[in-house]
Amino acid sequence: MVSGGIYSGKFGELRKLFNALRLRGYRVIAPKLEDSVIRLKEVTSFDEVPYGWEDIQAPGKYSVREGGKHFRHGPDAPKRILYPPRLELFRLRPDWSVEYPKERFPPTALFAIKPCDLASISVMDRVQGGIGDPYYLALRKKLIIIVENCVEPGATCFCSTMGTGPEARDGFDIAYTRLDDDLVVFRPGSDLGVELLSELNIEPATDEVLRKYYDALKNASLKAKAPFELERLPDELELGLNSPVFKEVAERCFGCAGCNMVCPTCFCFDVIDEPELDGGAVRVRVWDGCFSYTYAEVAGGNFRKDLWARYRHWVLHKFAYWVRQFGVFGCVGCGRCITWCPAGIDLRETIKSVVEWVRSRGGS
Amino acid sequence: MEVVEGRLIPKPAVIEDVVDEAPNVRTFYLRMPEGYPEPKPGQFNELYVMGVGEVPISVSDVTQEGLVAHTVRVAGRVTEVLAEASVGDVIGVRGPYGRGWPIEQAVGKDVLIVAGGIGLAPLRPVIRHIERNRAKYGKLTILYGARAPRHLLYKYELEKYASIPNTELLLSVDKAEGPWEGHVGFVTDLIPKADIDPERTIAMICGPEIMMRFTIKRLYEVGLKDNQIYLSLERRMRCGVGLCGHCQMGPYFVCKHGPVFPHWFIKKYFWVEQI
Repeated sequence: MVSGGIYSGKFGELRKLFNALRLRGYRVIAPKLEDSVIRLKEVTSFDEVPYGWEDIQAPGKYSVREGGKHFRHGPDAPKRILYPPRLELFRLRPDWSVEYPKERFPPTALFAIKPCDLASISVMDRVQGGIGDPYYLALRKKLIIIVENCVEPGATCFCSTMGTGPEARDGFDIAYTRLDDDLVVFRPGSDLGVELLSELNIEPATDEVLRKYYDALKNASLKAKAPFELERLPDELELGLNSPVFKEVAERCFGCAGCNMVCPTCFCFDVIDEPELDGGAVRVRVWDGCFSYTYAEVAGGNFRKDLWARYRHWVLHKFAYWVRQFGVFGCVGCGRCITWCPAGIDLRETIKSVVEWVRSRGGS
Repeated sequence: MEVVEGRLIPKPAVIEDVVDEAPNVRTFYLRMPEGYPEPKPGQFNELYVMGVGEVPISVSDVTQEGLVAHTVRVAGRVTEVLAEASVGDVIGVRGPYGRGWPIEQAVGKDVLIVAGGIGLAPLRPVIRHIERNRAKYGKLTILYGARAPRHLLYKYELEKYASIPNTELLLSVDKAEGPWEGHVGFVTDLIPKADIDPERTIAMICGPEIMMRFTIKRLYEVGLKDNQIYLSLERRMRCGVGLCGHCQMGPYFVCKHGPVFPHWFIKKYFWVEQI
C-alpha cells in the first residue's frame, strides 16, 4: 500500500489512463450507458464512459440526463463481474465423473467505479474471499481498481454514514476526482497505481487545488448522510426485532427481491441441477435472495412465510448479523435498494424508525 | 484455467438396503464413496438425485459394516424421486456436515432424548453410541412421540431400547388408532412422568420447532438449565457448507454452526417469531 500524494492534471489524462489499461491488456469494465441506464460493462473506448451524463436517483426512481456533471451508478455493482448472477459450476457425467468448465480470467480493470462499490469489494473480500470462492479469487487476484470519488452524491446515497465514501480511503490502485470540467485530482493507492500515473502529465496539487478538493469532498460528505448513526446500531436493531415497523414497511413491499439483486454485497445463491440428455447433469449457481418466498422454505413449512419476516431478516442481516458474521456491515450505503425498489421503500427511514421505536421503549 | 466450487460436487454412493419405516418414510443404507469420513451423531449429508436436486438428510445410523443410513420422509420434489430408489441404485452424497450432539460433554452424565416424529432419526446414532459405550454414561431416557403408532420410526427395534441397561423408554402418540399401551397426547407430557435427575442430565431434542419450545418449557419445570439443553434445527440447508445463506437463523448458519445448538447459545433468536 502506497501512501499516495495528491496530483492534478487535465481531463485528457483520464483518457490516457484508460488507454494505458487497454494497452496493458486489461479488460476494462466501466460505467456505460445502455437503454438510458448506466450499466457496468466491458468498455473498449474511453468515449463510451458516460462523462457529461448524470443519473437522477430517488426512492423508486431512476433516470439519466445529458449535460449533468457527475454520474453515480446504475443497478450493476462489481458483484456482477466478480460473482456472476449465473455460473456453471461443473458437469456431472452419467458415470459421476466431473467435467469443469474452461473459465478464462482475463486481467480486469474496474474503471470509474464509485467509493461505495470499492467498499463493496472489500466486503466481498471478507465474504466470498473469506470462504474461498475460487471464481471470485481468480478474478480478484488480477483486479485493478480505478475509483472515481463522488463530488455529487445522489439523493439515495448514504456512504458518508456508512463510512465508505464519498472519498475512497484504501483498497484502490488509483482514485481520481473530477473537480471541474478540466481539472482532475489523482491519488495513487498501490505500486501499480504509481506506475500508471507516472505515464500521465500530472503534477503535485497546488494549495488552491487542494483546498478545492477538500471543500468538494467535505460538501459531498454532508450530503450523503442517513438519519442514523452506526454506533451501537447492530445491538439497537436486535433490540428492535419485535418492532412493528417491519410489518408496517412490508405492507408496501412486493417481495420482488430486486433489492437483493442490486445490492452490491448480497451473496446468497441457489444451486440448480439441470438434467442433460445423456443422463448427466449440470450444476449451476444462481443468485438468490432472502425476499423470495421459497428462500426459507423447507419440506414441512416455511420459516419466514410472511413478507415482513423476510424484510426484517434482510435489514437485520445487513446491519446486525453481518457484523457478527464478518466483522463489517453488509451495507455500503450505495442506495441502490432504495432507488430500484418498485415501491420506493427507503431503507434509511426503516432503520431510523426501528431505532426510534427501540429508544422510545428505553431499549438503548 | 479450471476454477470451480469443488465443495459442491456430489460423489456416488450405492444403496445397499432400503427399509420401510412408516407411511412415506424410508431408510436408505448407503455404501459411501472412498474417503468419506465417518459421520458423528447429529451430522447430516446432502443427498443428490442426478439431474433432480439435493436434500439435506440427517445420518440415522452407521452400521457395523460401515453403511450410512438416512431416514427420508417424502415431502418434496427430490424426496419423491429418492423414495422410488431401490437397492443397487446410485445416488450422490456430500458430507458429513455440521456440528453434532454433545456426546463427549455428556460422558458421565444422564442423557435425556426427546424426539418428535422424524426427529428421532438424528438421535438414533446417539442411542447407538450410548448402547455401545454403556459404561461411560448414566441413565438414558428416551421420550418419543409421533402422530399415531404407525408413524413411529424404527418399530422393529424401538422396544429393544428399553432393554438397554439403565434405560427408560416412554412413547406417546397424538392419536392411538387401535391398541396402544403408551401415552396419548403430547410427547412433552412424558417429561413429568420420566425419572429425570436435573443435576446430572443433558437433554437432546429434535422435532418440530413448536414441540421443541414446549419441551424446553417442560424441562425448565423439572429443573434443567439452558446449558443442559441441546436441540437440532431444521433449515433450508442448500449448500451445507455455510456459503449459500439459506439456512441462516439470526447470525448463525445452521448448516455449519449447527444443526445441533446448545439452547443458551441461540436462545436470543430461537424464540423470535419467524426469525
